[in-house]
Amino acid sequence: MNTNKNSTLGASQISSKRLSILAKNWALFFLLILILIFSFTGKRFFHLANFQNILHLSTTYLLLSASETFVIITGGIDLSVGFVMGLSSVLAATMMQQMHAVNFPPALSISIGSIVTLIICIIPGLLSGILITRYKVPPFIATLGMGGITSGLTLIMCGGFPVTFLPPYLTEMGNGYMIYILPGKAVSFFNRPEGIVGGELKELVRIIPFSFIFIFIVLIILWHILKNTKFGQHTYAIGGNMDAAVRAGINTNRHLIIIYVLSSFLAGLAGVFNVFQTGVGNFTPFTAMYELLAIAGVIIGGASLMGGKGGIFGSVIGVILIGVIENGLHLSGVDPFYRFIAVGLVLITAVVIDQSFPDLL
Amino acid sequence: MRNTTIEKNGIHGFFLQLGNKWAVIFLLLEVVIFSIVSPGFFSLNGIQVLLINSPFILLLGLAEIFVIITGGIDLSVGFVMGFASVVSAKLIAIFVELGMNDLFSIIIGIVITLGIGIIPGFVNGILIGRLKVPPFIATFSMLGITHGVSELLIEGSYAKDVPALAGKIGNGSLISIVPGRTVSFFISPLVQRGERLIGIFPNVFVIPLIIIAIFAFILKRTKFGKHTYAIGGNIDAAIRAGINVKTHLTKIYMLSSLFATIAGILYMLRFVTGKADAGVMFLLDAIVAVVIGGASLYGGVGTVWKTLIGCFIILVLENGLRMFGVPTFYKLVVVGVILVFAVLVDQFFPELIHKED
Repeated sequence: MNTNKNSTLGASQISSKRLSILAKNWALFFLLILILIFSFTGKRFFHLANFQNILHLSTTYLLLSASETFVIITGGIDLSVGFVMGLSSVLAATMMQQMHAVNFPPALSISIGSIVTLIICIIPGLLSGILITRYKVPPFIATLGMGGITSGLTLIMCGGFPVTFLPPYLTEMGNGYMIYILPGKAVSFFNRPEGIVGGELKELVRIIPFSFIFIFIVLIILWHILKNTKFGQHTYAIGGNMDAAVRAGINTNRHLIIIYVLSSFLAGLAGVFNVFQTGVGNFTPFTAMYELLAIAGVIIGGASLMGGKGGIFGSVIGVILIGVIENGLHLSGVDPFYRFIAVGLVLITAVVIDQSFPDLL
Repeated sequence: MRNTTIEKNGIHGFFLQLGNKWAVIFLLLEVVIFSIVSPGFFSLNGIQVLLINSPFILLLGLAEIFVIITGGIDLSVGFVMGFASVVSAKLIAIFVELGMNDLFSIIIGIVITLGIGIIPGFVNGILIGRLKVPPFIATFSMLGITHGVSELLIEGSYAKDVPALAGKIGNGSLISIVPGRTVSFFISPLVQRGERLIGIFPNVFVIPLIIIAIFAFILKRTKFGKHTYAIGGNIDAAIRAGINVKTHLTKIYMLSSLFATIAGILYMLRFVTGKADAGVMFLLDAIVAVVIGGASLYGGVGTVWKTLIGCFIILVLENGLRMFGVPTFYKLVVVGVILVFAVLVDQFFPELIHKED
């Protein structure tokens, strides 16, 4: 939409241009409309606490969607992210549990567990990247296979049970807030004010969850990489036209491997965050379909499975849209199962709108 | 499957033959290995268990092979299967409550479910064929919608009050023998304590087998089948050749939903209940089976027969590992490796890809 031809446009063209702007940003408009509607129908929907809640609970999906955004822009797909997230969660939790069991200090075991896990979690991405580039395995198959292998290894490692008995402070870090205000009495940063008794807990105002800062930094970095760097431009080039990218001298094989490694790394980050958020290591059931929901968010955000289109900002809107639908329907007292239907309908709408306005490409 | 078209001699020719037949060889190897290491695997009972577990993945595999040959993918089959199990169970329970005879209400319920079950496929077909929505997205949306609707129908629990006769049909065999006492056909007899029931050809296996035979023939020998390959091979060429691609794709997705619906009905007959997530586990298995069977996700390649082999590779692996006493987690790892291996074989022998009939 970076045209500056407005001066020469006729009235009908201007209105069609407006329509097209609306269509391009329909997800954002739809999100605002939904927030407006749910503010009337949902009990306590329009509340700072609730909005923070939606963001907090979307954090893992935001990470998974960010990783899918990169992959989908190159024209591929990564079906393994959900399982890599499970692997990461279980791996990090197991390491922390073992170190905690032999009386390592919590800070040390938490940081070692997280860092080692993040390093290990790039292995599935590396392998699928090599399969996809070197051996020309279709991304769908390579990542599906890698997902199966990862999922199996995760289940073998944890035996099909969540990993518990982790060091203390994990959930305080994962679910903490920057600022706590007890109206008229106390303000404190990072930690809850001391000496709160039962009744006062309800009045405690919590502002800016840690997860928000964390995801904000990660997303800004990724947005910058995709939008402003050579790496990002090459990513779009590969998705737009692979042959042209090769002719332009881009080392596509190396680039694609980096993309899948990045995708895996972000999934690993999601898994580690999951440990901080829940305080246990959760494996991903084979039927969880996290990756499909993440892909749905990316597509609603305007990406195309054909590649070359999409962006971090759009994917964030897509994921938050899904989060708002779930939360809003829940608070409006609608049967929770309507949300599956709602997400399906929004997804179809997204693609049909894309198809009806081909000039958006 | 005319491998006479591959005529190369020497080492390369040998490996080509091996590459062409690796799935069959692998399946035989699996059977031999598990017969040795897993007690009870190669026995009448073990084979019965294998066959009784087979119908869902077989039918979903059949659904996927049609869709994948056209170059699409159908993610909704798992939840359409659950949807069908819920709808059929609900309908039958309603008819019984209305005072109908058990057998009659089961038959009517199944017929109506078959009609309802193709609706998701019809919508998929319209979205994909006419509105040009990518199959991945359209069928994923339908996955969400069918999931939501079936959970709403059973309010998050499972469908109850299906008459016991359904279970007798679903768990019966074409020929059931209780040694020394009775022989019965189609419906499983009452078994008293201490008696051994020998069932030959479980119903839930025979029904999919008949359907698969019919549709294997349709895919291979009829104009409908040829058009399916043509669309997957080159959609533009298919349009120029005068094939009505939009209608054809709608039919393909309706077929896919129909097979998933039949799988759901068999699930209801076998477990005497309907569950929304009845088929989730089988979706990925079915896609994997199709790919192991040599089909290409880019369309135009694949056969029902090879898909069958792919399905049985997974089934034998699952059953064998279970009887060997290993947690089924290992199955996921092995299946993942086989999946990648299957595609690698195709990559190393590009001659194979276009040699299929």
